[in-house]
Amino acid sequence: MIKSNWLQMIVVCLLAGIIWACSGKGSNSDPDPDKGTTDRKAVLINLADNSIIPAYANYKVKQDAMLIKSQAFLSKPDITTLTAFRQAWVDAYTEWQKVELFDIGPANKTAIVNYYNIYPTSVAGINEYIADPTVNLEVTASYDKQGFPALDYLLNGVGTTDAEILAFYTSSANGTKRLAYIKRITDHMDALLTKVINDWKSTYREEFTTKTGLDIGSPMGQLVNGYVLHYERFLRSGKFGIPSGAMLNGVVSAEKVEGFYKKDISKQLAQTAHQAAVDFFNGKNAVTGASGPSFKTYLDGLGAKDSATRKTLSEIINAQFEVVNQKINVLKPSIYEEVKTNNAAVVQVYTEMQKAVRLLKVDMTAAMSIVITYTDNDGD
Amino acid sequence: METEQVAKPVKFSKPHRFRFVSKTVSSAPLAVFRVAFGLMIFVSIVRFWSKGWIETLYIQPLYYFPFYGFEFVKPLGGYTYVIFAVCGFSALLVALGLFYRVAIVGVFLSFTYIELIDKSTYLNHYYFVSVISFLLIFLPAHAYFSVDAYRSKRLLADKMPQWCLDSVRFFVCILYFYAGLAKVNTDWLVNAMPLKIWLPAHNDLPIIGFLFNYTWVPFVFSWVGCLYDLSIPFLLWNRRTRVAGYVAVVVFHSLTALLFPIGMFPYIMIVTALIFFSGEFYQRIIAFVSPKVSLPTEFIYPRSTYKLSSITQQLLIGVFTLFFAFQLLMPFRYLLYPGELFWTEQGYRFSWRVMLMEKAGYTQFMVKDRTGKQLIVNNNQFLTPLQEKMMATQPDMILQYAHILQDYYSKHGFISPQVYVDSYVALNGRLGRPLIAPTTDLANVSDSFQHKSWIIPFNDEIKGF
Repeated sequence: MIKSNWLQMIVVCLLAGIIWACSGKGSNSDPDPDKGTTDRKAVLINLADNSIIPAYANYKVKQDAMLIKSQAFLSKPDITTLTAFRQAWVDAYTEWQKVELFDIGPANKTAIVNYYNIYPTSVAGINEYIADPTVNLEVTASYDKQGFPALDYLLNGVGTTDAEILAFYTSSANGTKRLAYIKRITDHMDALLTKVINDWKSTYREEFTTKTGLDIGSPMGQLVNGYVLHYERFLRSGKFGIPSGAMLNGVVSAEKVEGFYKKDISKQLAQTAHQAAVDFFNGKNAVTGASGPSFKTYLDGLGAKDSATRKTLSEIINAQFEVVNQKINVLKPSIYEEVKTNNAAVVQVYTEMQKAVRLLKVDMTAAMSIVITYTDNDGD
Repeated sequence: METEQVAKPVKFSKPHRFRFVSKTVSSAPLAVFRVAFGLMIFVSIVRFWSKGWIETLYIQPLYYFPFYGFEFVKPLGGYTYVIFAVCGFSALLVALGLFYRVAIVGVFLSFTYIELIDKSTYLNHYYFVSVISFLLIFLPAHAYFSVDAYRSKRLLADKMPQWCLDSVRFFVCILYFYAGLAKVNTDWLVNAMPLKIWLPAHNDLPIIGFLFNYTWVPFVFSWVGCLYDLSIPFLLWNRRTRVAGYVAVVVFHSLTALLFPIGMFPYIMIVTALIFFSGEFYQRIIAFVSPKVSLPTEFIYPRSTYKLSSITQQLLIGVFTLFFAFQLLMPFRYLLYPGELFWTEQGYRFSWRVMLMEKAGYTQFMVKDRTGKQLIVNNNQFLTPLQEKMMATQPDMILQYAHILQDYYSKHGFISPQVYVDSYVALNGRLGRPLIAPTTDLANVSDSFQHKSWIIPFNDEIKGF
């Protein structure tokens, strides 16, 4: 946005006066709630107060539970505490899928997604880090050695049986160091989440809901960009495109699935994450499930529709989301297994997600007039 | 036609067709324009530099998109700063009127070189600057109110041939009128596109923001904008409507500056329109100012006329006739191509088509070879976000990029690679659809001025210019 100056202010006032004078009472244009809203402030407030902030609160409950179970495991590693920790990890990992998509503001600033969920995790790297407890966990190189994927390896992958896994922490000379590493990475998760939640509460909510412009760096612009990027990179590519080989050279890489060591949760994680993206698009309240002002109502308010079929863009997008959901639903609980035995089904999810990416990245951003650029253009 | 200037008596009686050529006009409007234009370019260069755009647009990219036929224009690495410095310095000299001819050639060459490096930065107003500086090379804009004229009595002249001034005015008229003509199409006038998309994005502006929630407002803006562009040349040319026309220019361009990220363009146009004011108008200002800065009277009122030798004059008239014929025809070259102009963009640039399209695209390239090797390209590896965005909607850039990929992958393990693109483009509120035939091996296609048959035809019709 060009900075206003006096000349512009005068022009604006003049023009407003003229148009206001010509516009009569404008009574024929009362906003119709069924038609959606062009009020971005309402959208941002609903998304902040009813979607994002409560979703983080929900997630924090699960992560805190996981931290308690991990404490129990650290102080007394046995089959009971291991099983409880593992279950709490599954619950937290699943709930995490509902907040991972908010890659905006505090989450973007702390790069929490990168510290929480970069997979495949580096086994060699984790072993190095276990050996050196002073290593810095706040650098790019450390992304794939911590977070949920690292815990996946440490809880499910260090042995083939539970007895072997427990032995990794109890009977070896390095057992205490390994337990200490679990403590380090869970503490780091705790610190990051605390920071993100506090930032939202202290200053960012205010900024998010008051800066209603659409220029580069505006909350709405970042939110839409972050949402689309997450759908494309973390849902489409990460969960389906890369493991199935649909992305690169047709090389199937089943070992690159999310939750590789636990195996049977990968579909549940993907389902949850996709549903979270759908719910966010529709502005669902994270507590009550009621819909509110959202990308959907904003698109409806703008009147975005396919001129050929007269279907609204939000209908078309939701229909495509539904197709993707159905394609995910038919998968086995372990996407690893599915890739190994029936990869075509996984590729199909990717293909349908790709169609959704186009709708979001091209049709939705164009309709919203959200620009992905950093320099002047004269609109042509 | 100028009304306020009385034609000087002509020494020799000339044939009728030279009457216009022999009329003279005050040197002041062109001199003032020279100063303002030079300063605007200087400010533009400083602004560009201070925003770090030289680095991000001309040094950081790994690949560039030169214009067809201008592939010899290459980025200069760190020396790009030198060419910007040359341009800025020359622009200052132009404003001062010091070593004018050399300086204006410097502006033209350096500015145009920069603009030819990469298509992704193409803006109509950059083209405008290049063309105006080309015109100014041949015009005696330094004959009055310049350092050159201060130092040379022979150069100093408060009158010049009328065509010198009118050619610049005429060019500005072409720009406005063609920009207006381009808006006479069904998307703009019947559907209020793309303003219907762009205006609601500003519904949070103070005072006027609420207006953009009304569905009729984009229609008003579209129609007013179109009529404005079509009528402004006449309003500015006619003495009686000139002041009203200029107020319209200021209001219109200030509003666009407020609403759209178009940088210096509105200000350049506001300054440019000053050229329509009469010599008397400027003379009055100069008469008011010059005693205060104690400029010698003979510098302000030299009472002499800038003369060109008749051969030079006829040569220039010939050059200008060709130039204007080119300017008048060039925007219509799209008629030589089949298909929808907005979709194929064959003949879209250099035609004063401004703010006409909301076009967004997404492209995914696949490279394969006969050994069965294949991969999907990560565009970030090759292009900047701006380049990728521009490339995704413009067929000629898609083809250039495909050839960049062909070259790269033939050096990286592929044997005569084939390049296919999966493209998806949305235009003016229509749902996206493929732009390029996905079965065409773009590595096998070479660019030319011929119709690009590998563009999938548009499934809709936009009537109008």
